[in-house]
Amino acid sequence: MPSSAPVDADTIYDAVIVGSGVSGSLVANELSKQGFHVLVLEAGPGEDQTIRGYEKYLSRFYEATSKDNNSPYPANPNASMPRSPAVHSLAAGQPDSSSYLVQNGPFPLDSTYTRTLGGTTMHWEGKALRMLPEDFETRSRYGQGLDWPISYDELAPHYRRAERELGVSADVQDQAELGIPFEPGYVFPMQGLPASYLDQAVAAGIDGTGVRLDGEDYHLKVRAFPQARNGIPNAAYDGGKGYVPVGAVSTHQVEQGERCQGNNNCVPLCPVQAKYHAGKTLAKALAGTVGKVDLRTQAVASRVHVDHVTGRVSHLEYKAYADPGSPEHTTHTVRARLFVLAANAVETPRLMLASGLPSSSALMGRNLMDHAYLLTWGLMPGPVGTMRGTVCTSGISDLRGGAFRHGQAAFAADIHNDGWGWAGGTPEVQVLDLVDSMNAFGPDLRRGAVDRISRQLLLAWMVELMPDPSNRITVDGRYKDALGNLKPVLSYNIADYTLAGVAQARSLSRRLFQRLGVEDHTDYRPTDVGYVSYQGEGYVIRGGNHWSGTHVMGTTPANSVVDADQRSWDHENLFLVGSGSMPSIGTSNTTLTLAALCLKSAEQMVRQLRDETSAVELATTTGSAQA
Amino acid sequence: MSAQTRLEPFLAFSSRVTAFTVFELQGTGQAAAYLETVVGVVGEALLGDLLSIDEAIQREADGDAAVRDRLLRARIFSDERLGPVARHIIKLWYLGTWYALPKDWHEVFGSVEDDVTFVVSAAAYAEGLVWPAIGANPPGAKGPGYGTWAMPPKIPAF
Ligand SMILES: Cc1cc2nc3c(=O)[nH]c(=O)nc-3n(C[C@H](O)[C@H](O)[C@H](O)COP(=O)(O)OP(=O)(O)OC[C@H]3O[C@@H](n4cnc5c(N)ncnc54)[C@H](O)[C@@H]3O)c2cc1C
Ligand code: SF4
Repeated sequence: MPSSAPVDADTIYDAVIVGSGVSGSLVANELSKQGFHVLVLEAGPGEDQTIRGYEKYLSRFYEATSKDNNSPYPANPNASMPRSPAVHSLAAGQPDSSSYLVQNGPFPLDSTYTRTLGGTTMHWEGKALRMLPEDFETRSRYGQGLDWPISYDELAPHYRRAERELGVSADVQDQAELGIPFEPGYVFPMQGLPASYLDQAVAAGIDGTGVRLDGEDYHLKVRAFPQARNGIPNAAYDGGKGYVPVGAVSTHQVEQGERCQGNNNCVPLCPVQAKYHAGKTLAKALAGTVGKVDLRTQAVASRVHVDHVTGRVSHLEYKAYADPGSPEHTTHTVRARLFVLAANAVETPRLMLASGLPSSSALMGRNLMDHAYLLTWGLMPGPVGTMRGTVCTSGISDLRGGAFRHGQAAFAADIHNDGWGWAGGTPEVQVLDLVDSMNAFGPDLRRGAVDRISRQLLLAWMVELMPDPSNRITVDGRYKDALGNLKPVLSYNIADYTLAGVAQARSLSRRLFQRLGVEDHTDYRPTDVGYVSYQGEGYVIRGGNHWSGTHVMGTTPANSVVDADQRSWDHENLFLVGSGSMPSIGTSNTTLTLAALCLKSAEQMVRQLRDETSAVELATTTGSAQA
Repeated sequence: MSAQTRLEPFLAFSSRVTAFTVFELQGTGQAAAYLETVVGVVGEALLGDLLSIDEAIQREADGDAAVRDRLLRARIFSDERLGPVARHIIKLWYLGTWYALPKDWHEVFGSVEDDVTFVVSAAAYAEGLVWPAIGANPPGAKGPGYGTWAMPPKIPAF
């Protein structure tokens, strides 16, 4: 059970983990399975450990007048999170510090994460893609970005374990055609999700479309995305042992969520928990009997203390608050043999920088990456049943790799079953416009709703972005949150390499719409947040929520913050885990890869905890009250 | 007039402007809550006027839909006092949300304390008529079942 009682100051944990998202939960579960005593500190509240709490989120979502992707989660100034409605266009040279994430510009990034028990997977969409082998070596192959210190083949076994843990539904053949090698006979835990009727209509029109890039020919095919969402278990999984989907977690028995029901609400919240969220892994970790996992919610890690003689982390300070509405808190110290920061690619470097630990490479917080999303939207010639199914079942993945990456970013496209919502054209907006501006009522209104909603097609083009040290998270003494913790300050821009991919995506979208007979309603306005102009044409770029690169992994303490096991080069008992370690993101949503990395790192942590013989120096504990 | 006697003309008007039958409207379970919402914000008198004009229109149109629609536009939808409220009743049924009335409406017809935009209830969100109109489920509620999305949409005739 989550608790907000202070930890026992005399306990020396085997490991303290900051963050209960998928990264922290996976590590907690692995360490506990090996018999270790772990403490998880979670900054946010923990009400979702029961079905009742989960249902509270759901009714908050139903009742919210603005259904942005953090709408199920209550505002909490003590552990704030970025929210889309708070992102504004920036005036040159003027940082926007009006909300939690301070935007320094020049590009205002509308990406979010969730600070609550279970972290951002509470509202992620659930795409679970492996990266391409070539994504691990973009520097040596294409002269762009950074190479990883490990190859696809080294990560492959961990991808398999991550696919089991997250419960991935997909078809191997489809993925193999993209050049991703799988071990012979491998099948995913569950069968691929059926393509939506909309996907099928798009496929009928565009499959086989030829694209020539940098002298090479590619042929497009609409294919399903691997998803961490419960489908039909594959009998052949695990050498014929099969797979049992994990449904809803709760402190009391409920039976739901063993299969996705097509609620079309994966973001911000799956009502039946058919979609994976970290609470599922965390529940296992808490129930484990080999080791022991303690969990403290409403406990914000505020400082990492290092012993400057040994370079090891000696202890961690956190602030505990009883009431999200009040800044009153107490400060506590925890000690452990190993420290794991899993607070995500914004909060982990924020905490390190706020602790005065920029890393000897000075790369802490730098190389921030996120996918640039370009949306294109229009109306199909007839009703195609938009607004049904999961948020997205299929898309175009054939341009994720290739020699053209020497000169421009790779890209992929999602076909959105939820229509124009992301572009602001939700069913609500359509109905309001029909009633208020079109003066429609009665049968005209009903027909108008079908005409404007059931025909919607939205393609979300995910364009890769390469690491750039000047894209970064920093802290600044002027900006503090309610508890006095330094807020993250974001500096971000989008390079021409990515914009070239954006432009290519726009022109391909035009061709596809022409083939499909789609009425193009795509509209980018200079007043829109994220408007950029490239080679004379304007585009609006949205954030991808795939924060990464900010504690980059590499081969030496000079070129990176962590090693291939996500261990800090500077502090041998400190691991920084999550997408912050990724040197590139290609065109994969980041979570399956970060999960694989965490499983890999947990093996190293176990080795280290077992091997470590040196006595841990005991720091004196403090537990001082502060208003 | 009591809430009960008002419900009938309210449903009759709602049915005409939403193109859903009274039976379907009652099936949402929201009729009483919506009536209460409207009365709560704009008051008995205004709604009473709207509904009696609607009844007069029905008598005059005598079953001719074109005449009825023309009169609805002329006497209700283009009326400065009633039009915004009538449009809001449509939105209430389609979206389960009461939208705050425009500022200039308040300036002319008096301010109402409780007039803010709000979702009537969690149930009202899920009962929005836009979803059955397009043959889909409300996002996050009434999941239609695994794989149903692969089938052609069933858009109900009306
Ligand atoms: C709308 C949306 C859609 C997405 N869709 C996809 C998708 O389809 N596929 C995909 O691969 N990825 C997707 N992502 C990204 C995905 O959600 C993240 O990659 C993933 O959840 C990151 O997990 P994490 O555990 O590393 O971090 P988080 O989930 O962010 O967890 C970090 C945890 O640490 C806690 N924390 C933070 N600071 C402190 C502190 N100081 N002290 C204590 N605790 C702290 C937070 O409260 C949080 O619980 C999406 C994200 C969003 C926002
Ligand atoms: S479609 Fe629905 S049931 Fe399926 S994962 Fe998304 S929200 Fe959950």
